[in-house]
Amino acid sequence: MNQDAREGILNRLKSAPRNNPDARPPKPVLSETGLDREGMLERFTSELTAQTGTTYRVQSGEEALAVLARIAAEEGLRSIIVAGKALPGMDLKAFGDREGVAVTAAPETADREALRQAAFTADAGVTFADFAVAETGTVGLIFRQDQPRLVSIAPPVHIAVIPVDKLHPVYEDVIGQVFGETDHIPSQFAFITGPSATADIQAVGFKGMHGPVKVFAIFVTGRE
Amino acid sequence: MHSRVDKFVETARRELKVELSQAFLLMLSLGAPIMRQIGLSSFPDPAAAEAYSRAVRAEAVDRLPELLEEFEQNAIARGVQVIWARDAAEANSAILDIAQRRGIRYVTKGKSLVTEEIGLNEHLVEGGVEVFETDLGEVITQLLSLPPFHLVGPALNVPPEEISAVFLKKGIISEPTTVPVELGKAARAYLREKFRHLDMGIVGVNVAVAETGTFINVENEGNIRLTKSSPKTLVAVMSLEKVVPTMADALHLVRMVCRNCTGQKLSSYVSMDTGPKKTGEIDGPEEVFIVIVDNGRSEIYRDPQARQILRCIRCGACANVCPVYAKIGGYPYGFAYTGPMGQVMNPLLLGIEACSDLYRACTLCGACSKICPAGVDHPSLILEYRAREIRLKNGGSADFRSRAGKALASLLSMVMGSSLLWRLGVKCARPVLNRFARGGYISGIPTGPQAWFGCRDLRAMPARTFHEQWQDLQAGSGREAS
Repeated sequence: MNQDAREGILNRLKSAPRNNPDARPPKPVLSETGLDREGMLERFTSELTAQTGTTYRVQSGEEALAVLARIAAEEGLRSIIVAGKALPGMDLKAFGDREGVAVTAAPETADREALRQAAFTADAGVTFADFAVAETGTVGLIFRQDQPRLVSIAPPVHIAVIPVDKLHPVYEDVIGQVFGETDHIPSQFAFITGPSATADIQAVGFKGMHGPVKVFAIFVTGRE
Repeated sequence: MHSRVDKFVETARRELKVELSQAFLLMLSLGAPIMRQIGLSSFPDPAAAEAYSRAVRAEAVDRLPELLEEFEQNAIARGVQVIWARDAAEANSAILDIAQRRGIRYVTKGKSLVTEEIGLNEHLVEGGVEVFETDLGEVITQLLSLPPFHLVGPALNVPPEEISAVFLKKGIISEPTTVPVELGKAARAYLREKFRHLDMGIVGVNVAVAETGTFINVENEGNIRLTKSSPKTLVAVMSLEKVVPTMADALHLVRMVCRNCTGQKLSSYVSMDTGPKKTGEIDGPEEVFIVIVDNGRSEIYRDPQARQILRCIRCGACANVCPVYAKIGGYPYGFAYTGPMGQVMNPLLLGIEACSDLYRACTLCGACSKICPAGVDHPSLILEYRAREIRLKNGGSADFRSRAGKALASLLSMVMGSSLLWRLGVKCARPVLNRFARGGYISGIPTGPQAWFGCRDLRAMPARTFHEQWQDLQAGSGREAS
């Protein structure tokens, strides 16, 4: 029956009079194209700030852990769930022991049920992100075995740690890398720009509708 | 969705008297176009960005059959199960069947207009599957059984008192509150449990990408990401016109839909799915179904005038600039689609004859088509439907039925064809028309085209015509200059 539906729909579409598409106008230019690293960091920061997010810039994994400790203290985080490839100098298990924060490594959870349990009860999700885009203060995550999806959406706080060489001016720079090799397209890729938000009642806006209330981005630049 | 479009006039009359709706519409029609302008001004050349998105949508519709086949082929290659549905019944029964075979007790849903169009929720509930809408606006309209007030914010006008009452009744809150943030947080807590134990999620599709078989969702709340991430089974429902050639095209449309919808440069979340989770992934769906819904669209596609409505990307910007919507709000449109795009879409889905009031409630001002990022020319279609309705009523002829009508039309066309005759006619008609003026307005005339005055008043005419006044003005300024 489904085959009939398919053929019916496609045949009707194909039997319609054909318009040949007009040539496209030139692709619109974007003001972010060609920004240098400093320009990108500034643009990313101002865009994420406009969404109530906070951006940090540190030189090493150890400094990133210090920022993480400060956020944990300020936000009262008692448990975090972690995903992605950890950067050098960022042993989060040791960090948890030191700071008195319970740390769950998401890829080590036994199954979907265990992951849900951990992600929906953690105070924060920490992700080692794949990309960042200056254009809108956006973090890009490729979901895969070591980066489960719920870590960045279920907990009320999301902290993304990003090596600065993964910061690009515009979306196309990132999409080319994620979708370019057709055999390696991830099951899901997401752009995350600030916290979850709504304004559905009386147009009163607030953050943290279903996803995180707060978003932090920590760029690790390496020694400068 | 059950159509209430036959109640257009009475619903509009009622809404005009609802103070809260009026206050809200005033705020929306003043604020939203400014937010949109601010959003678009982040492009170095906003006109070029608009021209490009219009070209993408025009090309996508022109190449629709081949793009759909390419999308299907790539989606299947990534492990997606593609289901084609000719109409609402086929789509609904396919989705219910997926749920029933897996013993699903409830689903969560992301906001999806096409599922409202086909009445999916009602069908699932009748089939014993509970449905939780999860977009806050949709939660409210679902619980209160309200039609959508706006394409994007379906419950923006609903008084917090009503939301509080229904949340109390459903046990979502235990104490009444009219604070929007508290109501939102209560909905968060309530739906969190549903997400956490979810076995099947249903979402719509903002853009589908032919070259990769990817579907993209654009949202701010995170309910769609949770609905796509938590369960084992995921169903994405897309109307067949959503497909574009490339990821780059899709990204440009995402940029445009966000700016035109809420004035944002980008929404909080843009998630792009290509097939089910891979081996070793802990969450994400084990199986993904994409339901491609026709429901009349392949017929619309064969209609050379109407086809352009398939370019629409559902941003809702047309409603925000429409002077008619700004007075009556979304309820009178009587179906899933509100505002100018609803005036153009609903008659095609529900029948031209059933929607007469809808396409007559338009001043043809063109504000909608001027700002449409997809390049839909709403007024031309509204005129087309009016002509089609006349032809339907006249048994196929667009001519006037009466001999007098024909004679009047010939006379008018002759007079309008000559500037001399037109100016003379306008000059002579003034004193005659002004005899029927009462309180500065002409509300009717005893003979001639009386029907024209059925829903219009004419201002009493000044003694001198515009051309005469203009000449006076020119002569005056000439004297000043010399």
